[in-house]
Amino acid sequence: MIARWCTMAMIGIILFWGVAANADENSDLNLIPQGVTQPQSPTPEPPTASAGNQRIYLENAAVASSLRSNLLVPFPPPSPPDWQERLFLDARKQWQVNDQLSFTLSDRFNLRAESDIAVPSHENVINEFREGYVSWQLLERTYLDAGRINLKSGAAIGFNPTDFFKTRAVVEPLSVDPTVLREDRLGTLMVEGQHIWEGAAVLVAFAPKLYNPTAVYNNSNLRSLDPSFDRTNANDRLLIKGNVTLYDDLAPEFLVYRQGNQTSFGANVTESIGQKTVAYAEWAGGERSSLIDAALRYGHETGTLPPNASGALPEDPRRHFQNQLSVGASYTTESKITFNLEYHFDQAAFSRRDWDNWFRIGAANVGSPSIPRELWFIRSYALDQQEPISEHSLFLRADWVDAFVPNLELVGFINTDLYDGSSLVQLEADYYLSNAWTVGGLVIADLGRKHSDFGSLPQAGSALLKLARYF
Amino acid sequence: MRFPHLALAIALAVRSISAQAETAQQIIAASDQVRNPGEPFRSTDTLIEYIGGKPRNQDVLVVYSKLNPATQQYRNLIRYLEPPRDQGKMVLLDGKSLWFYDPNSKASVRISPQQRLIGQASIADVLTVNFAIDYTGTLLGDETIQDPQHQNRQCWHLDMKAANDQASYNRVEYWVEHGTDYPIKAKFYSDSGRLLKILYYDGFEQRLGRFRPSKAIIVDAVDTSLATTVAFGEVTAQDIPEAWFQRDYLPRLQAQ
Repeated sequence: MIARWCTMAMIGIILFWGVAANADENSDLNLIPQGVTQPQSPTPEPPTASAGNQRIYLENAAVASSLRSNLLVPFPPPSPPDWQERLFLDARKQWQVNDQLSFTLSDRFNLRAESDIAVPSHENVINEFREGYVSWQLLERTYLDAGRINLKSGAAIGFNPTDFFKTRAVVEPLSVDPTVLREDRLGTLMVEGQHIWEGAAVLVAFAPKLYNPTAVYNNSNLRSLDPSFDRTNANDRLLIKGNVTLYDDLAPEFLVYRQGNQTSFGANVTESIGQKTVAYAEWAGGERSSLIDAALRYGHETGTLPPNASGALPEDPRRHFQNQLSVGASYTTESKITFNLEYHFDQAAFSRRDWDNWFRIGAANVGSPSIPRELWFIRSYALDQQEPISEHSLFLRADWVDAFVPNLELVGFINTDLYDGSSLVQLEADYYLSNAWTVGGLVIADLGRKHSDFGSLPQAGSALLKLARYF
Repeated sequence: MRFPHLALAIALAVRSISAQAETAQQIIAASDQVRNPGEPFRSTDTLIEYIGGKPRNQDVLVVYSKLNPATQQYRNLIRYLEPPRDQGKMVLLDGKSLWFYDPNSKASVRISPQQRLIGQASIADVLTVNFAIDYTGTLLGDETIQDPQHQNRQCWHLDMKAANDQASYNRVEYWVEHGTDYPIKAKFYSDSGRLLKILYYDGFEQRLGRFRPSKAIIVDAVDTSLATTVAFGEVTAQDIPEAWFQRDYLPRLQAQ
């Protein structure tokens, strides 16, 4: 009797437990928004597949900057603007003529006003003709492209030693985020061929010299409607790169690059580690002169610096095999934040001794304008070439999607000079009001002591507000 | 004398557990065949994000899927058609090899499996995946639950644990209907055991040879004011060359 009662009780408990569990499961249905479960709930007609071949948007951005006074090494005129207003139309579109032939155009048309630019003047209009090329599929998975092409390489985020066509390609950026600089830059006039096998690919690109090198531009003498081929086609350049899958997902990429009479080599490798981490390394090396020597030679060649002037900094005209390295990892948290941490090394850039010389000689020659001009030219040359100024640096970037509230994306990075601890910091927030509208803002700060890399810059920081409409 | 009986009992228990595990795996595999056409296909999926019950954003993605015979898992290539700011971006998912390609920067960036889960409407929600490959299932029992139309469905209740690094989630609770093998409901959990999403399959209709779900309703379990519907649009069988599933092909993929 007791056994039967116990059995009945057990069955009762199990049944109750099951009903309770199912009731709990069915309560999940209450979380579904009303209307979406209707069998005929309306689903808007999806766009055509060709919609993926374009991106067009109009953006207005207003920038205010804070400038430093009493710099240790005075910045030669013109000073950076303390405000800027920019309205631009940015368009990328690909036309598929037939299965074998396509045409791609990418352009940004800017209207701008700045504290240091007269209105109206031709400087109010800057057109960035980024790309315009024809792509022809010669054979199955064999392609020939010709025109102005943005050819990019590199596994890292903050510094790409193997991105050989990055030099002089950035015109006037609103953001200093390296991922944005990779997006908004000029392509190079070139012919490239590519063949893709299963698990391997080879690309060969040749860009001819069409112009002699021109002086480094500043924000008040940018070309207006000129396509600026002088920036991108001032040397004969040849790139051969290929990758092959060795096993599983390991597919390193190798590069050989020749510019003028200099040959460089490069490699990229990435590897996924577990669920949340991707490790990567990017290396380039070749016979190069130091940054100081390359900058001064360029300054003399383009007439920016007097041809017979002796350098203020000790020069080493010899070429050495110099290495550049970017090694790091990305890590994504469960809360949807992706971090990238990278170490950057550029053997040709400033060593600690170079920095000491730069500050010592600059501070001792404040009264002699030619010396600070030459010293600052070296730094503007490095910026124009998109090369690090310092030999060792650390880069940390974070990207948080749906931060705090849905549709808010926060992106920030810090680039720290490991010699003096000074840093470039940028924080950006974008809120997607709708599929068409985005409102956002960003803050940039150069942090550090007066006697430091980022602390010695004329701009202490800036703030930007923007509104974009996508079409 | 008791020892042989104990050994026999353990042996029977082990055999029973392994038989149950095999059954669970078979149920999951049968359900995979309902969700996923066996042949290579292309679908255009529309994801609508709801905030507080109101539709807010819409993503439209073209998904190309093809079974890798070596792994019995699907390779996926995803191309964004909407929103306008993301048009043309692509994601390649082939085993451990995951790449994000942005035609604006013309850069391919390798991403981690965790990055598939970013966003209210995430890539993981539209991937074609054989659960039986990525998860090891255990049969928890037999339950009657309601589907999104509040119809009772007699289901197997399964507990699935990630079997490899390619699994999008660490753990999934899964309800599969008896007889039809229709997937009815799933609950997805993070590594830390937190419930992330509740998913209901809905709108079973004839597609590429059999009845398959045409819609998924996903509730964000962390912030329950958020929900997403995925309308699996037109599904078309399409021959997809092997070469498509590598990063160098991404810039060459034509809209079709």
